Order: sequence, then C-alpha cells, then structure tokens
Amino acid sequence: MRVERCYFCAGPVYPGHGVSFVRNDCKVFRFCKSKCHKNFKKKRNPRKVRWTKAFRKAAGKELTVDNCFEFEKRRNEPVKYQRELWTKTVDVMKRVEEIKQRRQARFIMNRLKKGKELQKAQDIKEVKQNIHLIRAPHAGKAKQLEEKMVQQLEEAVAMEDSA
Amino acid sequence: MAPSRSRQTGSHKAHSLARQWKAKRRRRDLDQIHQDLLPENAAKLLRQEPDAELPGSAQHYCLHCARYFVDLKSLKDHFKSKVHKRRLKQLSEEPYTQEEAERAAGMGSYIPPKTVEIHTQPLDEMEESN
Repeated sequence: MRVERCYFCAGPVYPGHGVSFVRNDCKVFRFCKSKCHKNFKKKRNPRKVRWTKAFRKAAGKELTVDNCFEFEKRRNEPVKYQRELWTKTVDVMKRVEEIKQRRQARFIMNRLKKGKELQKAQDIKEVKQNIHLIRAPHAGKAKQLEEKMVQQLEEAVAMEDSA
Repeated sequence: MAPSRSRQTGSHKAHSLARQWKAKRRRRDLDQIHQDLLPENAAKLLRQEPDAELPGSAQHYCLHCARYFVDLKSLKDHFKSKVHKRRLKQLSEEPYTQEEAERAAGMGSYIPPKTVEIHTQPLDEMEESN
C-alpha cells in the first residue's frame, strides 16, 4: 500500500480516498478530493492556482531546495523486511520531519522579514513627506496656560469689583 | 425599440460548462500537445490521410490548439486570433506532471518549470503541399 500524491494539490491520497482519472492514453491522475478533480476537469494549471503546493513552491512562498527533502521519495526499489531497519527508519522519519518543519518555518519567517523592512522604510518616508501635519505634544501648551491665567485674573478682578 | 438579443459568438460557451467538463468531451491536454509538437508526431498530424468525418477532411490542423479547420483561410485567420495566441502562451511553459506534484509535496527538491520556445507551425510548407 502506498500513500499517493494528488496530481493537483500534491496532498496525500490515502488508500480508499479520492478519485483517479485514467486518460485515453493510459496516464493515471489521482485526486485527493472532489475539489482537485473539478479543477482538473476545468483544465486549470496547478501552478497558477494559489492554494496548491505547486503554486506555493513555484512562487517562492515555501522552502524549495533543501537536503531534508531528499529522504522521502518514490524509489520503486523493494526492500527486504528487517526488523532493525524498520525501527530505525521510523525513528529517523520522526527526526527528519522535526528538522523539516523547523527549516520550513524559518524560511517563511525570513521571507516575512523583508516585508517588515519595507513597511518601516515606507512609514519613515511618509512621516518625512508629511511632517507639517505633525504637532509636538507640547505645542501651544504655554499659550493655553497664559490664556487660562489671564481669564482667572479677570474673574478675580470682576469679583473684587462687584464686592 | 426591440430588446437587443445578445448572441454568443465564437466557439466558446457553445454548450453549458458542465457539459464541456465531461470526461467524454475532454479535449487534448497541454502535456499531450507538447508530445504532438515533437517533430515526428507533428509531421504525422500535419499530413493526415483525408478523412471525410473530420472538418476539412483533416487537411488543416492547428497543432497547438488541437483543432481541425475547414480550409486554409480559416486556419490562417485562426493563427491571428486571440484563442491561438493565448494557447501559445500557455504552451510556453514545461507541462505540469505528477513528478512535479511529488516534488512540490516535499519528495525531492522543487525544480521550477523551464520556459519553452513556441512558434506557430510554418504555413508555407502547407501551402506548397496543397
């Protein structure tokens, strides 16, 4: 039993799931869900559809070239069962998956850093261009205080006059 | 004033979309067309035996669009059309394969698709043969 990959979205197709389409030249296309099958029928290009793995890799959204991708492959070489090999492989699979996750996450974080830098540069530029719109927090405070004092004095004088 | 009837022109939307997407009516895929473009296959397709069942007895075939035309004039007009140019653009990238899907899924490093030079089939040759 083999976990196949979906032709359209490159997701896993577990036994008993999905649909396979055999074209009249005997080529087999497997789909993980009806969404992928429908998109294939509409002749969409998986590289152009944003939610597929092919798009994300082709557009540089995800890590594409790395050693951690060299473990899982379609090898088509039968291996004789050895208990030790089997247990070791399972342990290694877990470890490789862990490393792969970490590297992919780091790639995405590094990719996002660029946007933050650009955003900061843009913000600084905007402030510099529109500096006349900014008021200092203390701007006009002294004048306000003076006015207040004058008013109080006037009131006091008026009170004295009336008294 | 009579309400203007909009008549759908061209071959597009001649049938409902659901009908076009039926496997029964499936047209040639881009990877199949890339196969057709190989010189030995192309020669066979461009010089077909007259077949009365097909449009223009299968004498005027557009390789890229996998379509038969009734005569040379309509084939030439088709080469100037938007559908043909759009198809050339779609073909100008390597076809997508199951292997690419697997590489995208993390089974091997992903190799970006290469661009392919695509030109409309030469017509002069065909005119001589006619």
